[in-house]
Amino acid sequence: MSLVIQNLHARVVGGQEILRGLNLEIEKGRVHAIMGPNGSGKSTLSKIIAGHPDYEVTSGEVLLDGTNILPLSPDARARAGLFLAFQYPVEIPGVSNANFIRAARQARLAEGEELDAVDYYGELYKEMDSLEIPRSFTARSVNEGFSGGEKKRNEVLQMAMLQPSYAILDETDSGLDIDALKIVAAGVNAQRSSNVGMLVITHYQRLLDYITPDVVHVLVGGRIVRTAGPELAHELESKGYDWIREDLAESASA
Amino acid sequence: MSTEVISQIDVDRTRGDFHYPEQHTFDAGTGLSHATVDYISDVKNEPAWIREFRHKALDVFLSKPMPTNWASQDLENIVFENIRYYLANSQRPTRSWDEVPDDVKRTFERLGIPEQERKFLAGVEAQFDSEAVYSNMKKALGDEGVIFVGSTEGLKEHPEIFKKWFGKVIPTGDNKFSALNSAVFSGGSFIYVPPGVKLKHPLQAYFRINAENFGQFERTLIIADEGSEVMYMEGCTAPKFETATLHSAVVELVALKGAKIQYVTVQNWSANVFNLVTKRAIAHEEAEVRWIDCNIGSRLTMKYPGVVLKGRKARGEVISIALANNGQHQDTGAKMIHAADETTSNVISKSISIGKGRSTYRGQVHIPKHLKGCKNNTECDALLINSTSRTDTYPAITVRGSGNSVQHEASVSQVSADQIFYMQQRGLTEAQAMSLSVNGFVNDLVREFPMEYSVELKRLIDLEMEGSVG
Amino acid sequence: MRALKPAPPFFMTDSLLQDAPSAAALPEWFTKAKASATSAFEALPMPTRRDEFWRFSNLKALDPQDFTPARPVASEVCEELLASSSGIKASAGRLVFANDQLLARNTDAELAKTGVLWMPLSEALHSHSELLSRYFMRTESVLGSAKFQALHRSSVKEGSFLYVPKGVSVSAPLEAFHWLAGSGQAVFPHTIIVAEEGSSVTMVDWFKSASEARNMACGVNDLHVGAGAEVRYVCIQDWSRQTVSLHANATTVAERGSATHLGLHLGGLFSRIESLSRLNGAGARSDMLAATVADSAQEFDQRTLQDHRSPETYSDLLYKNALYDQAKTIVSGLIRVEPQAHKTDAFQKVRNLILSPDAEANSLPGLEILADDVRCSHGATTGEIDAEELFYMQSRGIPARDAYRLITFGFLNEVLERFPDQTVRERLQETLRARLHGH
Repeated sequence: MSLVIQNLHARVVGGQEILRGLNLEIEKGRVHAIMGPNGSGKSTLSKIIAGHPDYEVTSGEVLLDGTNILPLSPDARARAGLFLAFQYPVEIPGVSNANFIRAARQARLAEGEELDAVDYYGELYKEMDSLEIPRSFTARSVNEGFSGGEKKRNEVLQMAMLQPSYAILDETDSGLDIDALKIVAAGVNAQRSSNVGMLVITHYQRLLDYITPDVVHVLVGGRIVRTAGPELAHELESKGYDWIREDLAESASA
Repeated sequence: MSTEVISQIDVDRTRGDFHYPEQHTFDAGTGLSHATVDYISDVKNEPAWIREFRHKALDVFLSKPMPTNWASQDLENIVFENIRYYLANSQRPTRSWDEVPDDVKRTFERLGIPEQERKFLAGVEAQFDSEAVYSNMKKALGDEGVIFVGSTEGLKEHPEIFKKWFGKVIPTGDNKFSALNSAVFSGGSFIYVPPGVKLKHPLQAYFRINAENFGQFERTLIIADEGSEVMYMEGCTAPKFETATLHSAVVELVALKGAKIQYVTVQNWSANVFNLVTKRAIAHEEAEVRWIDCNIGSRLTMKYPGVVLKGRKARGEVISIALANNGQHQDTGAKMIHAADETTSNVISKSISIGKGRSTYRGQVHIPKHLKGCKNNTECDALLINSTSRTDTYPAITVRGSGNSVQHEASVSQVSADQIFYMQQRGLTEAQAMSLSVNGFVNDLVREFPMEYSVELKRLIDLEMEGSVG
Repeated sequence: MRALKPAPPFFMTDSLLQDAPSAAALPEWFTKAKASATSAFEALPMPTRRDEFWRFSNLKALDPQDFTPARPVASEVCEELLASSSGIKASAGRLVFANDQLLARNTDAELAKTGVLWMPLSEALHSHSELLSRYFMRTESVLGSAKFQALHRSSVKEGSFLYVPKGVSVSAPLEAFHWLAGSGQAVFPHTIIVAEEGSSVTMVDWFKSASEARNMACGVNDLHVGAGAEVRYVCIQDWSRQTVSLHANATTVAERGSATHLGLHLGGLFSRIESLSRLNGAGARSDMLAATVADSAQEFDQRTLQDHRSPETYSDLLYKNALYDQAKTIVSGLIRVEPQAHKTDAFQKVRNLILSPDAEANSLPGLEILADDVRCSHGATTGEIDAEELFYMQSRGIPARDAYRLITFGFLNEVLERFPDQTVRERLQETLRARLHGH
């Protein structure tokens, strides 16, 4: 059981190519990290997998437990088990957090089946408590007026409530101070299990001190150029991305 | 848990779309003349002064041009000769649902009215075509001196209060349709709340059009005496006919010193109804009037609730939601006429245009010379769902003299693509995401409605949103 | 892009033109249109307050029957007027008119070499008839004064014609003075600017009276902004306090073009000002600005339309009025976004500062949005000077009267600050300061 990305080529609709034959397999129970310099395509990778309408896939497949999800709409992909924690979570005025997550849970039930409100709130409060999110956030509009840290915690809360089989965390550390980062990382770690595969996208190694990956990939120019264990992240941190680029240039000329 | 509203009330957009065969004992026939007016006055056995009032009003109606110099040309499509102006079986409403004729009772039962009365209302009046068929109020309120009857009963039984205010807030000649109503009015409520009496539960009127080619002209007059409080709610439905139906009400509110009136409307007319309504209030010293208005359905609605702020520190408010779908034009707004120092008014209007729907806001704020400390705040926000949807805003603000403060803001937007994608990523379909966004857009105003209505409103909005995406 | 150095100040050297105007026949297209405008003027009804475009207007002041077309001005008066025509210090060219007759003209020698045409309308009718016919009053009147535009069309004799060829950038402003002298007379000033692709130009129009007598002005502007061109235009309306003034401006902007139109409204008894901006191509932009000082019994009736006809267009309107005494202002502004004009940004702000218990400000900000995917908003506020602001100034030792004037200047200056040309901006500020002096 895994999320498999095969030879994925994608571009901005009618524009520039961003992914140039990307291959990746995320197994359930494992945490993969993707690191890369600015502009390498790591943030757009998450949007492309989730089906953002600004991008189009020109070739390749994304198989979720064996099913190609590329023909599916973004919501069908989500219901198939894919979760994306956004780098910039969107504000939805007037829609309360509790109603929003509830609507998302309801969407996963069969036709005619109703969510049990008591169970739902019990679960929601439990997850909120563990993420140190105040109860008052149930009634507040989704992400509206939230601080950077509150938004990211809210993303992790939604992940906990929707229990995806594969979760992509896009720059979850951006805009967080160290205390907020620890809370968010603890929330993510609490959800690590044999039932979920995770892909953590980050520019800095810092996040990986708190969410230890099983595998680290480096994305440059729309392709995975290196794959290794967690030690790769430390190497990148000390040597910088230029080291990878130089390395690549050498092997290309060799 | 403030946003979690759970209710069993189930009134929806399609629910009003049925009708029973007509069996009217009283029928003024088709078309409008002085004979029609006499017929109505005869049947109602009215005093001479009101008959004279009606005849004069008819002359005013006939002499006034259609307001098409500023309003929709669609008004030209009303054929006054083809409309029936009075249809009824009886002139006296019963006090018990058991005595209401079976088919009429079935109508109101399908609309959930008796059930609502049991649950949370202080009194109910149910009008079927031209006359109220049922009117009842909790006995304790009667003992406190509260009057809640139909307009005919009001003018006959309580002339000393009725005559003092009737036609004073909205004169016959205010506009062509107020003149029409003044000529042929029938039904509607007359309410008097004595000094200091504060009604805990709302009074409700339900207006039902059952007949085809029909015009409903209810007339409502509410007087809240000093320091009293009342909330009045009205609901409206009609079955969908191929031909045009006319609804043209006049509603006058008088809030005496320190009184508080809230007037809540949830209109859900079928798409063949011309809904041309004049609503105005006078707020005396320190009184407060709030119009809370939701307009869904109808072919053309023209309705601009107003408050004349006549006494010092009076407050007026209009909270309005309008939703215009294909073939519909919601032309709504507010009028705030400041006539005393330190009066304040507030208008918040949100409209949603779907498909080829058109919503229009027209506002008037007037602060005359030599007043001090008056304030108005107006906010109009329009949401466009499709590329064929339309919205207009036409406010007119006049301020004479320094010492007052007026601000008006309006914006037009659409649901952002990022919002939709975010919600889709959580598993909601595009249509569900759109519905949720639209509900979010009006949510702060929906909360102003009584809970029972706010649930209904959300459901109505969801139903209207169906089919607008994809 | 060829840039021009500003010309030296030369208003001291202007001298009266001695030549009689050319007696040659006017072009046929012009006389034909004049004839049909005469009958149109007679056929069109006088507006009434029931017309939406004249709501709240005081139409009593407006009867063209009271006026006769202006007669030439005596030469000693002309000398005086010319001496008083002090505008921008360094302009690239000037035209001075009195009662629709040319008094003086000047064009920077360098400017002529670039192919820029800068001449009185009467001359352009002969020398550039074909070019003129393509742009002269080609925009239909849509803001209510069709009758008065017909009157203008049937009576116009003189004005400024400015043509900027492709790619030419004129850095120093050009300016024109329109004087109105005598009593019971009517003038019909016209300004036409054609800025070809990628060109750039600034022009200033001054409207001034020789005396306090009652006269009438009925002017029209045609501003045509070509693709990627930039036109910055200012009109300083400083007629006498007895003058009835009607002025209609039509700006059209092609793709990527940009127009700035600023009105500094100071004079007149009754002034009707109509301004239309039509955005015809993607990337077109229009900034519509006005600052109005209204006192005594002055009335300023301002009607605007931001007409978005193409996708990806931008307009931004800021109109501010400061009202004293029994003055009255009306700002009726409409943003109209046509069904095809998606990705439009359109904004409108009206601000009224009421400084007297007897002044009246009317705001009618309107929106008609027939496209989605737009960002549109309008706001209108009316209020008085903030007591805290006043107190703050007084606490620094500024007398209340000066504080009022300073705050009012600052309020209106926010509009002037938005004008891109610094020389012009400073001249406008000087003019505004002088106008507020005494309040």
